[in-house]
Amino acid sequence: MTTIADSIVQTEALTKSISGKAVVNEVNIKIERGDIYGFLGPNGAGKTTTIRLLLGLTKPTSGTVRLFDRDIRNHRLDVLRKVGSLVEYPSYYGHLTAVENLEAVRRLLDVPKERIDDVLAIVRLTKDAGRQVKGYSLGMKQRLGIATALLGNPELLILDEPTNGLDPAGIQEIRELIISLPRTKGVTILISSHLLSEVEQMATRVGIIAKGSMVYQNSISHLREQAISRIRFTVNDPASAYPLLRSSGYEAEWDDRSLTIGRADNASTAEAVALLVKHHYDVYRVEEQTASLESLFLEMTGGERSL
Amino acid sequence: MMSMLQSEWIKIKRSAIWAIMAISPAGALLTGLIAGARGASGTWMDALTFISILHAMLLLPLLTGVYAAMICRYEHAGGGWKLLFSLPVPRTKIYAAKFILIVFMVALTQLFLLAALLIVGWINGFPSPVPWRELALSFAGGWIACLPLAALQLFASTALHSFAAPVAVNAVLTIPNVLIGNSSRFGPYYPWAQPMLAMIPRGDGGLPDLTIHIAPAALIGSFVLFLLTGWIYMMKKPA
Ligand SMILES: Nc1ncnc2c1ncn2[C@@H]1O[C@H](COP(=O)(O)OP(=O)(O)O)[C@@H](O)[C@H]1O
Ligand SMILES: [Mg+2]
Repeated sequence: MTTIADSIVQTEALTKSISGKAVVNEVNIKIERGDIYGFLGPNGAGKTTTIRLLLGLTKPTSGTVRLFDRDIRNHRLDVLRKVGSLVEYPSYYGHLTAVENLEAVRRLLDVPKERIDDVLAIVRLTKDAGRQVKGYSLGMKQRLGIATALLGNPELLILDEPTNGLDPAGIQEIRELIISLPRTKGVTILISSHLLSEVEQMATRVGIIAKGSMVYQNSISHLREQAISRIRFTVNDPASAYPLLRSSGYEAEWDDRSLTIGRADNASTAEAVALLVKHHYDVYRVEEQTASLESLFLEMTGGERSL
Repeated sequence: MMSMLQSEWIKIKRSAIWAIMAISPAGALLTGLIAGARGASGTWMDALTFISILHAMLLLPLLTGVYAAMICRYEHAGGGWKLLFSLPVPRTKIYAAKFILIVFMVALTQLFLLAALLIVGWINGFPSPVPWRELALSFAGGWIACLPLAALQLFASTALHSFAAPVAVNAVLTIPNVLIGNSSRFGPYYPWAQPMLAMIPRGDGGLPDLTIHIAPAALIGSFVLFLLTGWIYMMKKPA
């Protein structure tokens, strides 16, 4: 079964400078139909700004955004019809009930009235739908925001930190909700978070952004491989052994005491040892590094553990 | 455009705007009935002059600002702009719908006040005939003269995040009406004074020293200027 991958989101060198500082810096995002894309990065990394750029809520300093393979500069309203979004904080009208909130949006989307009951049921707000939203808890407002995003039967759902500010029970509830969203119609989801653990179980692909730049973008399984199959060699002269391993095709890193290679199965580990010995390096130790995904994530994003 | 207006209507119909709209007509009704009960005999033109001084000099410009602020308030408060701007609707439509609703609210205010005046006149037995032409000109004129102010206040209310700020600025700029409204040099060019200049009846029964005419060119010019400014701002507004 070979189908040409359907590009849903594609950015090219997307850059946004705010008072001279690039808060989004040459970002290339690629999301295909059916992906659940985990957009990760610490607080202040530029996730929300990137999402605003995707939706055309703010204009890029340079670079382009294509949604559904169309440039949003020329086709913004057409493509927005197929996008549902929740950006940063849920938007709501506090003096209206949930039903009235959804009705105010529904008029603009031109979907059947029954859709309101559908989305209220999906986010489990049916019981509270007749209450004024200003009396809602943050979690309920968040769920109403997701309901609003789902109202127009979007092909692309963009959720920016939908669990932000929630207690653990609320986080679990939202996560279950997102996993349970009907995926049969090929809905593509972009969900941002500052916690890898939060999207780990649901994402098929991840993009990691730190200080405005993308530091990783690939499938979640590729990230897992990277995390588990790393071998560290403690050798006498890592700096000069490093180019040797690189030229032999290893994904290697070095510091002043050791070399680390990724994607190391038994065969490639053995070959690396043989290579080092053949070139007269002293191999003191060979250790498996069982880095967790979380520590890999921290390493990629600059390891701001203190935050 | 209909769906945009319906959407706006859902939001406005549940707000406190109706209570505020009742102020002017209720006040007119009350003062009129009290005056009648005290045995004061009046004419239609006296009552119209009296009402239009109080209403058009102060309340009408103030209310126009309050309506504009109310129609933007819930967008500022709950992230509504961000929601609207990420929906598949052009910003021009959003802007147009907001403006139409403001001037609709002003029109309703005028109609309710006119109704109050008719009730007062009927109960107090003002001599017939009812001067329909003068009444219509006055109330419709007041409404039209509010259009530049409505556009200006919509701009201020979209640009300023708070509810109080545009309302307070509007109030501060309404108070000089007492003086500027009497100035034939400045009155016709002052957006806050234009409604009273349009509403206060002149000629027979009108107060002679208040018969400064509005300048249609100034009215149209300022309307176009304010509407364009507000529209350009809305097109660029960050969300
Ligand atoms: N309107 C703005 N003015 C100034 N700085 C901003 C603005 N919006 C975002 N930033 C800055 O851009 C950076 C990225 O912010 P943001 O996109 O919100 O990050 P994230 O969503 O990943 O937490 C932060 O350093 C933030 O302070
Ligand atoms: Mg954010």
